[in-house]
Amino acid sequence: MLIPLSLVLALLIGASFWWATKSGQFDDLEGPAHRILADDDDPC
Amino acid sequence: MASTLERATSVPTRCFHCGEANPSRSNWRADIDGRSERFCCAGCLAVAQTIRAAGLSTFYALREEAEPQARNEAPTVSDVPRAHVADVARDIGNGLREMSLLLDGIHCGACVWLIETWLMQQPGIREASVNFATRRARVRFAAADTSPASILRDIGRIGYRAHPYDPGRREALARRESRALLLRMALALLGMMQVMMFAVPAYISVDGVDAEYQALMNWASLVVTLPVVLYSGAPFFTGAWRGLRVRRPGMDVPIALGVSGAFVWSAWTTIVGRGAVYFDSVTMFIALVLVARFVELQVRAKAGDALESIAREMPPSAHVLEGYPQTASERIVTATELRVGDCIRVESGAPLPADGVVVEGRSSVEEAVLTGESWPRAKTKGDRVMAGSVNRESPLVVRVTAVGEATTLAGLARLVERAASERPRIARLADRVATRFVAILLALTAAVAVAWWFIDPARALPVALSVLVVSCPCALSLATPAALASAAGALGRRQILCVRPDALEAMSRVTHVVLDKTGTLTTGNIRVAGVTAAVPEDASRCLHLAATLEQGSAHPMARALREFKVDPLAASHLTAVAGSGVEGLIQGTRYRFGRADWVAERCRATLPASFVDVASGESPALLASENEWLACIRFGDRVRPEAVALVRTLRGLGLHPSIISGDGEATVASVAHAVGIDEWHADARPVDKRRLIADLQRRGAVVAMIGDGINDAPSLAQADVALTLGSAATLTQWTADAVVLGDDLSRIGHALVAARRTFRVIRQNVAWALVYNIVAIPLAATGHLSPLAAAIGMSASSLIVVGNAWRLSRLSGAHKAARAQTRFSDRPSKRSTPDAAPGRPAVVTRADAAARS
Repeated sequence: MLIPLSLVLALLIGASFWWATKSGQFDDLEGPAHRILADDDDPC
Repeated sequence: MASTLERATSVPTRCFHCGEANPSRSNWRADIDGRSERFCCAGCLAVAQTIRAAGLSTFYALREEAEPQARNEAPTVSDVPRAHVADVARDIGNGLREMSLLLDGIHCGACVWLIETWLMQQPGIREASVNFATRRARVRFAAADTSPASILRDIGRIGYRAHPYDPGRREALARRESRALLLRMALALLGMMQVMMFAVPAYISVDGVDAEYQALMNWASLVVTLPVVLYSGAPFFTGAWRGLRVRRPGMDVPIALGVSGAFVWSAWTTIVGRGAVYFDSVTMFIALVLVARFVELQVRAKAGDALESIAREMPPSAHVLEGYPQTASERIVTATELRVGDCIRVESGAPLPADGVVVEGRSSVEEAVLTGESWPRAKTKGDRVMAGSVNRESPLVVRVTAVGEATTLAGLARLVERAASERPRIARLADRVATRFVAILLALTAAVAVAWWFIDPARALPVALSVLVVSCPCALSLATPAALASAAGALGRRQILCVRPDALEAMSRVTHVVLDKTGTLTTGNIRVAGVTAAVPEDASRCLHLAATLEQGSAHPMARALREFKVDPLAASHLTAVAGSGVEGLIQGTRYRFGRADWVAERCRATLPASFVDVASGESPALLASENEWLACIRFGDRVRPEAVALVRTLRGLGLHPSIISGDGEATVASVAHAVGIDEWHADARPVDKRRLIADLQRRGAVVAMIGDGINDAPSLAQADVALTLGSAATLTQWTADAVVLGDDLSRIGHALVAARRTFRVIRQNVAWALVYNIVAIPLAATGHLSPLAAAIGMSASSLIVVGNAWRLSRLSGAHKAARAQTRFSDRPSKRSTPDAAPGRPAVVTRADAAARS
């Protein structure tokens, strides 16, 4: 039923979080906030 | 920001790139984004052109303000002998290499963007990521296409300095630990949400849930909770084991016991199929504690970066004069390759890489990093100079007497380290109480279990578990770290970093506050304190002349004059005489600016009396032409405007402020009067300062020391709480318990207020925990509380306690309002505060100077 499904989903979420942490996405919590303010306007 | 003087002229007088004043003779010009911009030197011009050519001139639109760039070129890797280059980058396979860099000059997000985009445009670069929070960069490149040397050069081309460094095992370990904590916390939170969801039916059902569905819920909860307990809960188990091994059970013991007991019991009930389960409590409990620890770690990591910069106080390279004095050949070596007996040349403006004796040259040396005093001391042949101090006026040749660990700088660092380890340990309040609480609780649980065994064996275990669960050691072990963490976080957002965990507690118990003078109560920067001109209307013109004469000098007086940002006049024959002054020819008249006796040599007129009368704590420099005396410009160290408010706040809190300084009696007295402090000690050496603090402590005082220069380091370690300003010499930031970033003294007052509030909240939490436990435990022990009720009670209690602690994060709200008020009411009435000592300087402002010209 849905219960085992939710368990599987939780497992997937956990795994993807683990991968994200390992690849260093959580190391810098301030930089990305500044980054979005920069526009990359590349003239085509 | 541009003064009226600048707007009047049609040509910009400041460098487009770095913001420094353009010398009058400069004609560096370039076209940026369709406008012709001017620059102060070839370096800035080259950097701006590079940026423009790369299509990155958006940088100028994005950045927050221009910062003066470092003038002295750091050696590129190619300057360093071959042997060192190999260590700088490491192989990561596939022909790729990775290099870690420390970056200088990053001060806003735009810099990060610029460096990353610029590097990615270079050949061979696969990945360039700059960590804004830590000012570090990681560059991955193809070994075949580029090299560390070219990468450093590339970064240099856009005006930043990069130092290659080896992250080292310690840092790699720290990073792994922080990641592990993040993962544990995330898993616990995820598990908590899932298990809560499964527990909902049991909570909200009126008639009870069908056995088979409840069993399903229980099993699902079990499956989710198991990894949470094993992985996220692991730190508690190891911590509890360690604590038990040394006979000092800490917070971890009840947490571990409660978690394992509840989990095992719940697992048993699930397997057997009868009874209540507590998976929700278990996961929630683990999750909440880990969140608190994670927040703590974040704040501490931020503060820890201050320690990194200490490595950069010593310059990495030196110019060795081989065969001195016979030959003039020079070689650049790394500071570690210097040997005692080498002769090195130190440029003006450059820091000294080693201790030594001057063998040639006359200059003045600023020893601020060692003594905190910004007045340079004259050095000539035979004088000793120290590593880390900065040569100000003219080049020196120095024979090295001590390198590396043997230098005074390193010795001071060791002294500080030893003093820091001797400090009395202040155990955490929660640990102390928790230890006793844990012991009592365990005994009680055992007693209850035994008692019920005789009365009704079937109920022995549930009742014992109820007692253990309901007792909520979390109210103690969760509330205090959460309160400390959220207070530290709130302070951190307001630029006050608590570097040590004990900082807040010590700050809340402070009774006496000892303040350093130079750099703490005063700005530590030499400023123009006032101008007395022979003809009063000419004051600004005299400043202009003085600034013109001093334009080439790196002396702090010159820096003070540059504050006025006026265009230097056309001058020639500028010569500086070390220790005396400068002279030059401006518009046909020869002027001298400097010490009275030296200037008097060239001036025919007699010295006016008003020029001689100088207030204590100020240094005069006189300006005269050959025929007349023009002005006496007084330089002084300005008292910080917020110092008065700080002293008032301190008194308001019932604290006793005092000043201990190494300066002379008169200067210290005048500053004390200016800020409203009654007790001060002058002419104190570092060991005297430390002794004075120890004396106070012996009389039962809890002493907070607020300091700046390295001279204060031993006394900072002796004090119960050490606070330093973010502008302080790096070494003292290391020993401080709390660092106030930036220059605002009033934040110290806020920090102390916040500390008191924090501990008031902690006391409230502890009181609640006591009341709750006193009521709930007997209820549970006598069998009146079912385990379910116990679990609810515990959860509710911990939420209450955490919520109370979280209130502290909203420190900013109340303070912002208070600060806005004082800001408006303080400014106009500042001059009417308790009268300053005679001779309190009236600062000539830029507006005045511009208006009068």
